[in-house]
Amino acid sequence: MKFRAKIVDGACLNHFTRISNMIAKLAKTCTLRISPDKLNFILCDKLANGGVSMWCELEQENFFNEFQMEGVSAENNEIYLELTSENLSRALKTAQNARALKIKLTNKHFPCLTVSVELLSMSSSSRIVTHDIPIKVIPRKLWKDLQEPVVPDPDFFSFCLPFLRLCKILNLQVIEANLDGELNLKIETELVCVTTHFKDLGNPPLASESTHEDRNVEHMAEVHIDIRKLLQFLAGQQVNPTKALCNIVNNKMVHFDLLHEDVSLQYFIPALS
Amino acid sequence: MAAMLKCVMSGSQVKVFGKAVQALSRISDEFWLDPSKKGLALRCVNSSRSAYGCVLFSPVFFQHYQWSALVKMSENELDTTLNLKCKLGMKSILPIFRCLNSLERNIEKCRIFTRSDKCKVVIQFFYRHGIKRTHNICFQESQPLQVIFDKNVCTNTLMIQPRLLADAIVLFTSSQEEVTLAVTPLNFCLKSSNEESMDLSNAVYSEMFVGSDEFDFFEIGMDTEITFCFKELKGMLTFSEATHAPISIYFDFPGKPLALSIDDMLVEANFILATLADEQSRASSPQSLCLSQKRKRSDLIEKKTGKNVTGQALECISRKAAPRRLYPKETLTNISALENCGSPAMKRVDGDVSEVSESSVSNTEEVPGSLCLRKFSCMFFGAVSSDQQEHFNHPFDSLARASDSEQDMNNVCCRKEFNRSDAKYFCII
Repeated sequence: MKFRAKIVDGACLNHFTRISNMIAKLAKTCTLRISPDKLNFILCDKLANGGVSMWCELEQENFFNEFQMEGVSAENNEIYLELTSENLSRALKTAQNARALKIKLTNKHFPCLTVSVELLSMSSSSRIVTHDIPIKVIPRKLWKDLQEPVVPDPDFFSFCLPFLRLCKILNLQVIEANLDGELNLKIETELVCVTTHFKDLGNPPLASESTHEDRNVEHMAEVHIDIRKLLQFLAGQQVNPTKALCNIVNNKMVHFDLLHEDVSLQYFIPALS
Repeated sequence: MAAMLKCVMSGSQVKVFGKAVQALSRISDEFWLDPSKKGLALRCVNSSRSAYGCVLFSPVFFQHYQWSALVKMSENELDTTLNLKCKLGMKSILPIFRCLNSLERNIEKCRIFTRSDKCKVVIQFFYRHGIKRTHNICFQESQPLQVIFDKNVCTNTLMIQPRLLADAIVLFTSSQEEVTLAVTPLNFCLKSSNEESMDLSNAVYSEMFVGSDEFDFFEIGMDTEITFCFKELKGMLTFSEATHAPISIYFDFPGKPLALSIDDMLVEANFILATLADEQSRASSPQSLCLSQKRKRSDLIEKKTGKNVTGQALECISRKAAPRRLYPKETLTNISALENCGSPAMKRVDGDVSEVSESSVSNTEEVPGSLCLRKFSCMFFGAVSSDQQEHFNHPFDSLARASDSEQDMNNVCCRKEFNRSDAKYFCII
């Protein structure tokens, strides 16, 4: 198993650092999947995570100008590593004025992801900063749990809107939406019920079968979720998405799909049982 | 005439003073106010006796500086000069010197004076429009401790801009306990020091290499790697923000203390930190730091007041006598008066040093989890002895013998002085 990659462009480095910060806010421990074209940060929906799961995907060629990897085997040309997200984001934070950043898989007493940075300094010599981040290699038999989640089809309602900033202010508990471009965010307590209505949002064209056309366009799909999980997701947003999709599976889960030019982030929050 | 202190500062001087207090608070929860003709010294030592800090403000730093010591005339015409014995708690002082930037802007004058009759220190801030803020703080009577450490005999000396230190410090998390400094004549590396007791599966190892041309001064006598406490390094950085002067680092081999200094004419700050001894060396060979009480005449037999045992407990060596190292099974004949001190540390002077209770020494006591504590402890109980070679198993000890070879001269010259019984150990303050 081998992995070496290098970033020399300042903007790419900043962007990668911001993504890493976002991941650190969303997941304490996550899985890094390295494949020939992509990098994925994955959080699988274990009970320990409160049922939320996350799938973040980057096209490696948008960030790295050198990228070499050799997976576990020729047929399974991928590497799955588990690491503490904050360790990576902290290491990248020290790379702010770097001439170059190199990441590679090493084995120094135990497997590590070594981040090494050449920093510009005022004098002629550069400073070299190295961080060895301990990682755990995930064996192939566990890979099946770490695949891209599939959003169940039935009761599939979706829309797009740039609503994230607003959501941070409101305390949400229920999200409901319909095919007519309407979204309601509700909070209900014993004494009070507050609802915020969004209208004229877009609904992306559904890729699924025509059975959906029979549904009443105004019928709302709803899901009750834990506010804290949603807030955690929103608090982690550092990269302003060009597009945000919110998919609701009636009473099962809400799925957020944020798209930026070269990064996509999917986050799944299960319904409260 | 009682021992007393009286000084006046301007707003910007208060800022520097406040930063000094903040820096010292990283070492200890208490400090001594110690005025003398050299100026006002703030001194502190940490509970495990592995770090000592002192900031000396020269008399010309202040707008006004006045001090006096009590002179006791005695019958046999040997006068005793008793200086101010004033120990203050950080908890009382830190809140007074909060918001230093706003203090700097808003106060016209700050006055600090002592009232020995009431064991109080009075700190007054004079603002515009006649507003005055007064704090009365009780102090504890306690003899200040001083460290004897000669920076000039250190093999390795560096001078760096505070900016470089700040850049290095961000590499490590605040949970990082120890860091290692590794130098060669050409470069410098600061790296995390992760001992076996740490959770390796989660600890990130970080290091930064800096070329020698980034230093204002870079003189390395020999390749060295030393490990010391990270928190105290950050303390010195806090103070350097106030003065903009470069930070000097003096060190030798592992086990010998390291000194961090800032000297900008008006203020001199020194942090002396214990360093981790090499695995091979016997931890019971305490290194060169020697604490002494500051008295013009050593008065070792004086009974302690019940209040503060530790302050006097470490008084062991008179300035006049040749300092001698405490070694296992070595009896210190010229300090027999120590037996009357009754301190836990000094009681066992004639026994194995490793039995010193106050801070355990590693080769006899296994204290799990307190690695930092146990190996650093030996720092303060030492003095230099002329027959140290037989006990000194440190790998570098062969260099301690005088050498005529050209090769060794460079590395050895400072050590020769180190080993002589009339070693040039004098107080750094």
